[in-house]
Amino acid sequence: MLLPTNSSPIGFQQEFYHSVSEKTKLFASKCVNKSPSKDTLRRNRFRFCVCTGPRKSSKKTAKWYVKQPTWRLWGEEKADGALYTVYLKKVRYHRPTRSLSSSHSDSDDEISHLEWETVRVRFVKAGTLKKLVEALSTDDGELETTYINVFLATYRSFSTPKEVLRLLLQRYVELAERPKNGKPDPHEQHRKTLVSALHVWLDSYPEDFKDPPNHPALRQLLHFCEEYLPSTELDAKVRHRIERYTKEAHIDPLIAPPPAFAMRSVAAGWRVYKLPDVPVRHFAEQLTRMDVDLFKKLVPHQCLGAVWSRRDKSRSHEAATVLATVNQFNAVSYRVISSVLVEPGAKSGDRAAIVATWIDIAQELRLIKNFSSLKAIISGLQSNPIYRLHKTWQAIAKDKIEMFDELARIFSEDNNQMTQRELLMREGTAKFADTFGENDKHLQKVFQKQNNHTANISFGTIPYLGTFLTDLTMIDTAIPDTIAEGLINFDKRRKEFEVLAQIKLLQGAANAYHFSLDPAFDRWFDAIYLLDDREAYQLSCRLEPPTLVAQSAPHPKQAAHPKAKNRHQKNDSIASTSSSTSGGSQFYCEVDSAPGSPRNGGLDRKSSPSQMSNSSSSSSLPSLDVSMTSSHSGGANGKLQVPFNHSGTLSTGSQKSSPDFYIIKVTYETDGVETDGIVLYKSIMLSNNERTPQVVRNAMYKLGLEGSPEGYTLAQVLPDKEMVLPANSNVYYAVNTQFNLNFILRPKKSDEKDTPGKNSKSKYKL
Amino acid sequence: MTKPPSENLPTVKLVVVGDGGVGKSAITIQFFQKLFVTDYDPTIEDSYMQHVEVDGQWCMLDVLDTAGQEEFSAMREQYMRKGDGFLLVYSVTDTNSYANITHFHTQILRVKDRDTYPMLLVANKVDLVHLRKITEEQGRELAHKLGIPYIETSAKDPPLNIDATFHEVVRIIRNQPQNDNEKRKKKKLHKLGKCTLL
Repeated sequence: MLLPTNSSPIGFQQEFYHSVSEKTKLFASKCVNKSPSKDTLRRNRFRFCVCTGPRKSSKKTAKWYVKQPTWRLWGEEKADGALYTVYLKKVRYHRPTRSLSSSHSDSDDEISHLEWETVRVRFVKAGTLKKLVEALSTDDGELETTYINVFLATYRSFSTPKEVLRLLLQRYVELAERPKNGKPDPHEQHRKTLVSALHVWLDSYPEDFKDPPNHPALRQLLHFCEEYLPSTELDAKVRHRIERYTKEAHIDPLIAPPPAFAMRSVAAGWRVYKLPDVPVRHFAEQLTRMDVDLFKKLVPHQCLGAVWSRRDKSRSHEAATVLATVNQFNAVSYRVISSVLVEPGAKSGDRAAIVATWIDIAQELRLIKNFSSLKAIISGLQSNPIYRLHKTWQAIAKDKIEMFDELARIFSEDNNQMTQRELLMREGTAKFADTFGENDKHLQKVFQKQNNHTANISFGTIPYLGTFLTDLTMIDTAIPDTIAEGLINFDKRRKEFEVLAQIKLLQGAANAYHFSLDPAFDRWFDAIYLLDDREAYQLSCRLEPPTLVAQSAPHPKQAAHPKAKNRHQKNDSIASTSSSTSGGSQFYCEVDSAPGSPRNGGLDRKSSPSQMSNSSSSSSLPSLDVSMTSSHSGGANGKLQVPFNHSGTLSTGSQKSSPDFYIIKVTYETDGVETDGIVLYKSIMLSNNERTPQVVRNAMYKLGLEGSPEGYTLAQVLPDKEMVLPANSNVYYAVNTQFNLNFILRPKKSDEKDTPGKNSKSKYKL
Repeated sequence: MTKPPSENLPTVKLVVVGDGGVGKSAITIQFFQKLFVTDYDPTIEDSYMQHVEVDGQWCMLDVLDTAGQEEFSAMREQYMRKGDGFLLVYSVTDTNSYANITHFHTQILRVKDRDTYPMLLVANKVDLVHLRKITEEQGRELAHKLGIPYIETSAKDPPLNIDATFHEVVRIIRNQPQNDNEKRKKKKLHKLGKCTLL
């Protein structure tokens, strides 16, 4: 029953009609019949297909075997410690004598008498951990690709790497030590398969084995190899891995210089960006560059409900790569909000221009297929403080608003996020964006223009991760971890793997992005002052008082502004052009292997050890290193707590000529560091009751400085001199508002106490 | 139970809010899963829609539960805007989740630009008696302070008050002062017309 050639395209088509639940099993079935011969494995990749069958019906009525008569559910089978789902499969019969080299089988049909035979295939539905590990080698002693992929992607929700490794090795030893009775070793094939499983594991999840400084799992494997598999490929791989990790441990500190230093060292291409006049395409690309970086580092199994949504907040490192993505999303949203609000002197028209620029950036993100930052910008613009600024929205061109509506519709919650889900399925691995809804006039135009110009450019896709996280949380809640008296419910893991496989697939596609870093963009990104929810709302209310306050305030004439625009009404036209044709869209994921792929590199036993290590190093899943992102995401978390003088009391009378706060820019200067003429400014908010120590403290926080505020002086940079602020002045009134509000923070010199009048406080202190 | 009428039913959008880990998803799943116990699929478009009959009147309940996305704090207001009514869920075993309810409440009122809105305070996980940290009195006190009703739930088997929770929110939405609502809507439409002409 070995099928040396892959399934025909027609076979694939038929299988697309299967219901979601059977997908994994069906796919598994393909694998189960394949021995891992080089020929079939070479073509193995994740495959991304769209299913066109009527999807809704699958849930309620249609059983898969109605449409697919070659598969039939036979029933369940209980064995010691495991529960199996058994299927009968009708397969085309091939004469055993048929030459494998006859590549075209057209003539087979005429020769063969027996057209079909029925094969019994069983899948693990649930089992003890021991049984699940044993099942890595099937009844026939073969490696079932789907099973091992599901197992490795999800086992952390019911066990640990250490435990699984122990059981796997134990199983091998057990098989090796069984009496052979003089016959050829019946367990040889099983043992070989277990070794293949180890190869797959090492290649696909290297982080499971990386545990500095001693890497106990690798050591354990090494001992095992020395005893049972000396001088084999596995042995070589383990040794090489240990060597590499040991080397890395020595190099690491050198290749990761402190971020501040890294930023300062890039002197070339000095530019300063200021909204709204920025290159929008470039901004979209830079945001995408940041997202790609994080998305490729994302460890899919950290998204599992058992890890992400059930995690203990104190052990958040377990989901560090997910958290990094979330932080970046929030960082973008908060920057959108801040950039619109924090120019106290700006007019509605100025704000409108900034909003319009963000819409332009969002449009570019749609073209690049970065749905994460796209949603972050939409969320920022739809956040309450921005959304309620009616004067600002009224000052934006109608076309622009319509474009915004079209972009926002992508993320409509209607019908369980169907628009977004379908879009992702259509474009997930497509080269470029081209999907628009029936009413999306503007997007349609933009796509046409794009496709005329950039026919050869292709992009990956950055998904909005939140939808996956909710789906996985819901699966985790809805399906029990154990069934039938404590057996691990492996069907639940298959279900989870369907989601993880989509993420993995998109991660692969994300390699198509190539945007290089623009330090000026990062400086701009880091320098934006971030408001917390309350600050943002208060600022927004100062710009336009809320209707409730207006009603109760002494100025009853204060008219409520038109509250709603078209976009706020329910809009059911979810990408109708697409839904009509692909109502049953489904991800179809084929997990195959190629010698160079991370999945099954270890199966190709003809590869030399050096090839192996090449493939595994290039395919290594990213480490947990999120330090690069902390400079961006830190801003979102570590917001400054600027005390507001008018907290809560918002009167219409606050629309006076001078604002209640300024945004000032502060740079840090030391004597020792050569700055190469680069001045890094951070923005902080200065309200009208803040005194020098508080302002210095805020500035220190923003600039990442530690210590006491008393160790620093603050001076405003004026065209011809600097004005050092007295140690305990009210900074708001002390600053010179005739000039730019640029400040320098510098450590006090040791002799400063001798300079009379410059800093009175330190004089007493020292 | 009578059959739902076939003509178009009014749709009621409920939004479930609350900290991560308070069991929001369990409440939602418990309410919906009765329909498709065998093979749960979270991606199906009507996963979170259901016909319900409350006090003899049918409606289509459309529930938005963003469990797992709590930390995308920047998008919270965006989905709050869509809700006709809200479940504010905390866990009686988690003091922080109780303390954060006020924040969600304030945020909803701001987004809605109203001083009251249909909401229900849901004290979840009351089955965990020994781990309970927030008493019923504290729960009722908070509900009173916020001016919204209070209910205790458990999504564990046997579930407690799950259906009652969803039905109650529908009731609260129906019983809100209609005049105010209508007036606002009319005003909106009026202004909207003007806007579009411009």
